[in-house]
Amino acid sequence: MINWRLWIGIVLVSFLIFISLFGPQIAPYDKDYMEPSGYYYNSEDDFGMKAAPFPPSKDHLFGTDQWGYDILTLLLHGAKYTVFFGMLTAFIRIFIGGLLGMINGLRGKPKSHTGGFGLLGSIPAFLIIYFVMIGITVNSSLSVIELIIIQFILMTLIGVPGVYSAVYSKTLELRKNLYISASYSLGAGVFRIAKNHVMPHLKETLMVMFVKEIILVLSLLGQLGIFNIFLGGTILRLGGPEVYISMTSDWAGLIGQWRSFIYNYQWILFYPLLAFILVIFAFYMLSRGIELKKKSSFQKYPHI
Amino acid sequence: MVIFNYYLQNFCDETGEFMRIYLSVTGVIVFIFLLAAFPLALDIASGNLSFHFDTAWKLVKDYFGGIISGDSFYYLEGKDRNQSFLKDVPGFFLTSFLYLITAAIISVCIGVLIAVWHSKSKQEWIKDIIGFLGMIPDFILVLILQLGVVFIYEATGERIARIATRGVGEHAILLPLITLSIVPAIYLIRTLGERTYDVLSEDYILTAKAKGLQKLYIFIQHVIRNVLPYLKADLHKVIAIMMSNIFIVEYLFNINGLSAFLFNVSYQFDLTVNILISLIVLYLLLYWGVRLFIACLERIFSHD
Repeated sequence: MINWRLWIGIVLVSFLIFISLFGPQIAPYDKDYMEPSGYYYNSEDDFGMKAAPFPPSKDHLFGTDQWGYDILTLLLHGAKYTVFFGMLTAFIRIFIGGLLGMINGLRGKPKSHTGGFGLLGSIPAFLIIYFVMIGITVNSSLSVIELIIIQFILMTLIGVPGVYSAVYSKTLELRKNLYISASYSLGAGVFRIAKNHVMPHLKETLMVMFVKEIILVLSLLGQLGIFNIFLGGTILRLGGPEVYISMTSDWAGLIGQWRSFIYNYQWILFYPLLAFILVIFAFYMLSRGIELKKKSSFQKYPHI
Repeated sequence: MVIFNYYLQNFCDETGEFMRIYLSVTGVIVFIFLLAAFPLALDIASGNLSFHFDTAWKLVKDYFGGIISGDSFYYLEGKDRNQSFLKDVPGFFLTSFLYLITAAIISVCIGVLIAVWHSKSKQEWIKDIIGFLGMIPDFILVLILQLGVVFIYEATGERIARIATRGVGEHAILLPLITLSIVPAIYLIRTLGERTYDVLSEDYILTAKAKGLQKLYIFIQHVIRNVLPYLKADLHKVIAIMMSNIFIVEYLFNINGLSAFLFNVSYQFDLTVNILISLIVLYLLLYWGVRLFIACLERIFSHD
């Protein structure tokens, strides 16, 4: 049977990576282009006034926002931040957490690791990042890259413990196998065992974890976006009602800045939301595909 | 001597437990002070990021000084209204607690019921759907529900639920409860489903079946009571998930709960510390509330 989930995942993720790389080139408008509001006159019966936001049409496939910026263009420009930030943060989380978990799992005493009293669970992860970032991210004097790096470090720190404890317990489980004791008694070091005996078993698990971490990172980005902490900085416009704008127009930020378009002009919120769900769907399918592939390759078959 | 040793051992275990709780409580309190100080203590001076420990220390000192005089329990609302935190917090606290405990009970019931039923179906597509639902972040769920209700209203004129709380009288109830309970319920379905599968393959189930007991009776008497301990073990995780969701839900549905208190009043150090500490109390109350509910379930399902 074909692993169609894996293929859907691979196709969609490649599509997302393509968009992130070449999005600005294929975007229909410039990033700063504003569709002007004004009068139009086509014929005697067809005239009037037009003003942003423009609904989806041939000129603007996904419509424009309240100032006349093309939503498709903004999405194409922001894709690289969302996709690459998610992938990089997840990768570093897995790399650090996995390495530490594997080494400690092989070195430490194999005792049952009781998860500590979960009081820290009362303070959600995004709240921690929120309080650190709120003072420096709004109308910041730091550059976009600096803010992204700070957020990247924070998100990595928050995610590593989870990966660590998962890999740690899996390694303890694997360590009970005889081939590892044999390797020990033959004098192999921790790194050699980790590389030759533990890694082959953990490879698929780590890959699934990596893809799922991407989704977790993106959800965290989105939650922060709801509270106006956008990746790469927030522009706050005062004078009149407060308006928060994402510097990078990354997808989670776009949802955050347009979250109140529920009652009218819904397309402004709907298309970024759809794009974000597509990202999650793509990575989810990929993780399911890898999971099932692992299941079928490690399955035991009867010999006769 | 042996007995003495036993008691000593026991004593050490218990003080160990006590010490751990004590340490984790102090740890969390210190963490809260640090976190609340971040917006004031972290700043950018000529392009350099710096954390001022002296500012943070002064804030903490002022807070403790203000406990005796009571200044720490007043906060500024708007421009000049000096409100008492202790008088205002019960209302917000109760709102949050009622939403959370209702959602928690709903999700535990749904989780256990579906997990018991779902465990036998090994179809991959059901797992696909449940897994994907579990991966969708809470804020996406909220926004989609809100957009959906508006869409249905525009299409049919039918108002099926309130989109947000308005004023004092009109509370949004249905949609917040759906969002709050769906995420933990899916988590429970996934973890308890696996446990139930293990339980179903135990020998005592076979014995019960061999005795000719009815299926429903076996489920009530033997399966559910053996799944409940796993539920208790997973409870901290479930409550942590809910504590993270409540922020998004309260904020997007405009509910006057504890987290709205945190975000709608402008930032003040004392107030932030007080609210974060109330969050811990909320967490503990919720935890023991659900434990009480599970104890009731145990009375129903595991009495002999």
